[in-house]
Amino acid sequence: MPILPEFNLAGRRALLYTAGGDEAPILAQALAEAGASVVVVSRKSPLAPPSTSSGRGLYERGEGNGLSVGADLRVGPGQTHRPAPTGVTSMVADVTTPQGVSQVMAALESGGHWPVDILVNDARSFFAKPASQISLAEWEAVQARNSRAVFLLCQALGAVMVRRGYGRIVNISSGLAERGLINGAAYCASQASVLALTRALALEWGPHNVRINALGTGWSSPQDTPPEVQQQEQLVRYIPLRRRGRPRDIAPLLVYLCSEVCDYVTGQPVYVDGGLNGRA
Amino acid sequence: MLDRLSLDGKVVLITGGGTGLGLAMTRALARAGANLVIAARRAGPIEEAAQEVTALGRQALAISTDVTDSVQVEGMVVAALKHFGRIDVLINNAGAVRENVVKPIWEITDQEWRQVMDVNLTGAFYCARSVAKPMSERGKGKIINVASGFGLRGGRDIYMYCISKGGIIQLTRTLAFSLARHGITANTIVPGFIPTEATQADIRESLPRSGAFLPVGKLGRPEDLGPLAVFLASDASDYMTGEMFIADGGGLAGGLAPTGYAPVVELEP
Repeated sequence: MPILPEFNLAGRRALLYTAGGDEAPILAQALAEAGASVVVVSRKSPLAPPSTSSGRGLYERGEGNGLSVGADLRVGPGQTHRPAPTGVTSMVADVTTPQGVSQVMAALESGGHWPVDILVNDARSFFAKPASQISLAEWEAVQARNSRAVFLLCQALGAVMVRRGYGRIVNISSGLAERGLINGAAYCASQASVLALTRALALEWGPHNVRINALGTGWSSPQDTPPEVQQQEQLVRYIPLRRRGRPRDIAPLLVYLCSEVCDYVTGQPVYVDGGLNGRA
Repeated sequence: MLDRLSLDGKVVLITGGGTGLGLAMTRALARAGANLVIAARRAGPIEEAAQEVTALGRQALAISTDVTDSVQVEGMVVAALKHFGRIDVLINNAGAVRENVVKPIWEITDQEWRQVMDVNLTGAFYCARSVAKPMSERGKGKIINVASGFGLRGGRDIYMYCISKGGIIQLTRTLAFSLARHGITANTIVPGFIPTEATQADIRESLPRSGAFLPVGKLGRPEDLGPLAVFLASDASDYMTGEMFIADGGGLAGGLAPTGYAPVVELEP
């Protein structure tokens, strides 16, 4: 199967932040399959193994990053470590504060996973409640994990990328960045914040060969439910392609957006949402 | 999971595939494993492109076609189906650049208006219409349209180009929503400033002369679109439809201030 060598990420070091949801293992696996060495920073639990097997990898894997697979880089409160996909290391950390981000950076440096070429933020911790009932603490928590953490990681790693004159950042975000949803005030605002951050940083760091894009998603689920079952739900029938998105629907695009040939694309969301954005 | 980026054995029909952005896409598609039907008005460039594809070990068919003539478009699709048995992907890339007139609105003739609208918008509609039925019968297909950043923002005195490219974006959305039930997806590539031979004409006067006006600090190259076209033509983009893939050096991300404008203002007390 001919695959463009342009999609190869061999020799690249990637950091993937996940605020929630269960899609990170597949996304990390895709980056690893493309040849990158990957460290996942998870807000809550350590990385679970992917729910589906990938088959054989397509790229020759480059030399290791110095970390043994599954090595414990945990800097958060004590939690047990579950196995991550091959080529992927995971850690738990609170990156909603500059201190937390500094600890992660230090752990990456001492683990040899440095400098980082690719930053992927999957900050889609979902939350929905009538606006009148959202507490200040809930609002702040949603913005912290979905937006503030993304800013702090971009700021810290982006500075290094700018200095080196190379970097690729992908912010995975929801289509709710551009559309409204009943009970979605806090979540929609957090996603719009990430999209605006993406545009602004793309302009600010464009001359330094740092590219920043958003990968927009629709209604997705890590589970492989048959379309007929999914379609019992009105929400799914509203999607033009009549099924929810799966992590592997966005994985190849993620690899492209993290690649060196993603050079003239910056500051843009690319939506993979089953046609939701285009429909009436 | 990444093997879905391969185009092994897929049949891609590309209009305007012998020159400029189309040629760069043709080359990348062939390297990714696709067989190609390459169409354009002039026979020379598409025959040369077809030879390049064949040299890579893929099959190629060059068909001289004027996309503004629906009879010729239908003939092109019939010939492609006869040769390859199916069309997996249509790339509507043919566009009038050379013919574009940059003029105050009161000087534009009916003929000038129609010429550009016919090539850029009507031609894409004709091609989509002709492939949609055979694709729907197979329950699978992809239509990729090529628009422009000028399809989303206005250019001074660039009427037909901006309007036809904006129309392309709406054509994509309508195709996507209408044909989703038939297994057909449609997406738009939105290139920014990418100099080609054709843009050395009149319209060039309205384009930036250097990348200094773009956030990435450089102009695009036709090769930048290759991997994008491959991704959109491949099974890796199956869940993407009705969307734009913008490759414009950051131009559309900004626009409220000139490139490089960098104010520093302290927070108010």
